[in-house]
Amino acid sequence: MSTLAMPKIDQSVLNDKDSIVRDLKKFTNSINIISDPEGITPYETDALSAYKQKPMAVVLPENTEEVSDILKYCHKNNIKVVPRGSGTGLSGGALPLADCVLLGLSKFNKILEIDFENRCVVTQPGVTNLSLTKAVEHNGFYYAPDPSSQIACSIGGNIAENSGGVHSLKYGTTTNNVLGVEIVLMDGTIMRFGGKKLESEGYDLLGLITGSEGLLGVLTEVTVKILKKPQSVKALLLGFQSVEDSGQCVSDIISGGIIPAGMEIMDKPLIKATDNYAKAGYPKDVEAILIVELDGTESEVNILIKRVEEIAKKNKSTYLRISKNDEERLRFWLGRKAAFPAIGDMSPDYLCMDGTIPRKKLAEVLKEITKLSQKHGLRVANCFHAGDGNLHPLIMFDSNIKSEMKRAEKFGADILKYCVKVGGVLTGEHGVGIEKRDLMCEMFNDEDIQQQLNIKQAFDEKSLLNPGKVYPILHRCAEGGKMHVHKGDTKFKDIPRF
Amino acid sequence: MPEIYSLSSEHEVADFIKNCNSEEVPIEIIGHNSKSIGRLIQCSKSLHLKNLSGIIEYFPEELYIKVKAGTPLALIEIELDKKNQELSFEPPDMGFLYTGQSNKGSVGGAVACNLSGSRRFRAGALRDHILGFRGINGKGEIVKSGGTVVKNVTGYDVSKLITGSYGTLVALTEIVLKVQPKNEESQTLLVSNINLKRALNIFSKSMQTSVEISGACFYPAKMSKFFKLNDLDTTTSITAIRLEGPKISVVERINTLRKLFDEYKKTISVLENYQSRIFWKNTTDLQFFNNSKNIVAKIILPPVNTDQFINKFENEELKYVVDWAGNLIWVEIPENDSVLLRQLRTEVTKLAGHMTIIKAPNHMRIKEDFLTTVDENIKVLSLKIKESFDPKKILNPGKMYSGI
Repeated sequence: MSTLAMPKIDQSVLNDKDSIVRDLKKFTNSINIISDPEGITPYETDALSAYKQKPMAVVLPENTEEVSDILKYCHKNNIKVVPRGSGTGLSGGALPLADCVLLGLSKFNKILEIDFENRCVVTQPGVTNLSLTKAVEHNGFYYAPDPSSQIACSIGGNIAENSGGVHSLKYGTTTNNVLGVEIVLMDGTIMRFGGKKLESEGYDLLGLITGSEGLLGVLTEVTVKILKKPQSVKALLLGFQSVEDSGQCVSDIISGGIIPAGMEIMDKPLIKATDNYAKAGYPKDVEAILIVELDGTESEVNILIKRVEEIAKKNKSTYLRISKNDEERLRFWLGRKAAFPAIGDMSPDYLCMDGTIPRKKLAEVLKEITKLSQKHGLRVANCFHAGDGNLHPLIMFDSNIKSEMKRAEKFGADILKYCVKVGGVLTGEHGVGIEKRDLMCEMFNDEDIQQQLNIKQAFDEKSLLNPGKVYPILHRCAEGGKMHVHKGDTKFKDIPRF
Repeated sequence: MPEIYSLSSEHEVADFIKNCNSEEVPIEIIGHNSKSIGRLIQCSKSLHLKNLSGIIEYFPEELYIKVKAGTPLALIEIELDKKNQELSFEPPDMGFLYTGQSNKGSVGGAVACNLSGSRRFRAGALRDHILGFRGINGKGEIVKSGGTVVKNVTGYDVSKLITGSYGTLVALTEIVLKVQPKNEESQTLLVSNINLKRALNIFSKSMQTSVEISGACFYPAKMSKFFKLNDLDTTTSITAIRLEGPKISVVERINTLRKLFDEYKKTISVLENYQSRIFWKNTTDLQFFNNSKNIVAKIILPPVNTDQFINKFENEELKYVVDWAGNLIWVEIPENDSVLLRQLRTEVTKLAGHMTIIKAPNHMRIKEDFLTTVDENIKVLSLKIKESFDPKKILNPGKMYSGI
């Protein structure tokens, strides 16, 4: 396990553990409180499993009033609280603290109302992303953001992280698809931001808490908008002799006035890895492949496919296939979606990075990554949400060789620093959490960070809610930025990651 | 009259605010002075940002434009148009409402008010299109957030908090907006002479299909007289639905809707590309309340409550137009009718909506709240947020809420 500075443990709280656990039982059914070492073990980490810490106690409240009572009590008694949805987060946002009460939202697992007339769903936050779509698809509707872990991740966690997915260029991320929340602040105040209406007045508190990584409040109810499924969806699978050509093709598609539903680039090492693993049937004699997915009405999709085909040819594509049916389209995605397990198969460990870069910088950044790969003596494969510029380099290493873990971390940090240098950002969709916390100074100076800490104070003056996450402790910049996977052994190894 | 400071660089703005902060002098921030939204405030100094103007960078293939906050929106739209792109939230030209003439104002002013046009329910509001900003907080410090990329979860999304904050948190200096390709074709399906209830039903039914409508508005009879379009019958009510995209797809979707609404076939017509674009520009720009001398307010409701709301005020002297597929009602009431204004506010709150006064005589802008917010907890939190940016409350004090 890596070491990372966390907020100082409050020994007086730990000394009072027994009485705190006793008190918590006043607020919720006693079976909802877990404090025995064995019972709390499943909560010691999220999907960033290189970091583990058992909490003091776990509480699984059943309704908003219980959440409010528990937070009020913790606030009064200066007890830290770490909220947790499904624990699928990749940046350690739900990592417990030794002296914290871990507040799990798993019992908030009901969809409360499906309102087709207003085109929205009101749900409890513990409901998984995919269940929302499942609940409305009989009427041809769906919930747009589709993070890869959607079968397991909760909608509350999606709001905390502002989750994206492969279709965010056209349909936005979580923040563009959530209409309202019920939220409980650290002092127990219950509030509502937004609702079934399209927008609210006053400060955009809903926009602010989306992506705030559980630092500003605990969600207890969520309203999201739902969209009608497009009539037709088709995809092109394109191959290029250079990454530059594939990147230029993406730029030309966009400058040509086309906004595809999704665009994905994979480099040669990744094509090879996924082909060995998933037998997706990708072309082997290319340096990069590009998947372009288009949706809309049948005739619109056909026109767009033709236009993309022309643009691809102009950019020297050497391989081109258009999906004839949904089955073939899903096969195009098969290899891409198997990228992470395929790398897990090739290397005992890997780190997954999550920078976003301006699209036009792709070739430059990939060249730099190749250089860094040689410098650090570690292999790397790259996948790229080309539509929105989100780059996921997968750094391969062996944690049994002590120096390799360190080298991999250094390699990862160097990549993210380069992303920022070319005008990009540290994290596109995985969140800062503890993982990239100490790299925040690459993007923000002290004044920027202080302003954000001041906002935190407005919500949580004692800084008891999820402390130690997102913002550097003492503004210290160090190395960081990775999702570590050992022997394919992620916390949720069976759920897809892309 | 306040002393006017017209500054042209971020550095000057920072120094100016720093000084005002140390002397605790309140400042009113003005872009192009094209709108009068918000409570009327009196400050001894007024900061004009018209000269903080210019496009910093524009990369069409990266789908963003970075500009200084005082840049005219009109100029930005001209530059985007050269590359066949646009701001897809359709920023309204509020000049018609205030003076009867076009004046889109500055991009900073649009961000401060979070104003979006008729495509809002499909494309999102301005707040969905802001990627990043730089600005000066009440202490004179440069604050920045976001970047130039669409997918970014690095730190709090402060850009959204700034949008619609009416200049009470920062004086904006730089803004990055997402841009989108222009639609090749725009056509509008019109149904004439039906009531609001039926119109809302048409909107709802259309949204239950995959035809992807990008405009849906209702003009009661008498409200549409101002239109000067050959193919538009302005003698009755107008229910309009916009379709955009490649031409072949638009035509196909229009036909799908025609079939779906077969019961209205005698009163259905279509506005072709040219007139369709004018129709929606006129609607987005509130030309139905051109140079109004009355009180104009924006009401946002869950669309299922819209008909009930309008029915309640059927016999009052209230003019209205419904936009955003039933989510938005623009209303105009007589200049001095504060009784009716309060009734509207009470009713809108009951129906889970809110009302923002967009235009009112100055004497009303002093005494009336222009926002609806009644939740005391939200006010307390808003005050704390205000103080986290501007502890001495010198930036547009009282513009949004009294005391904030």
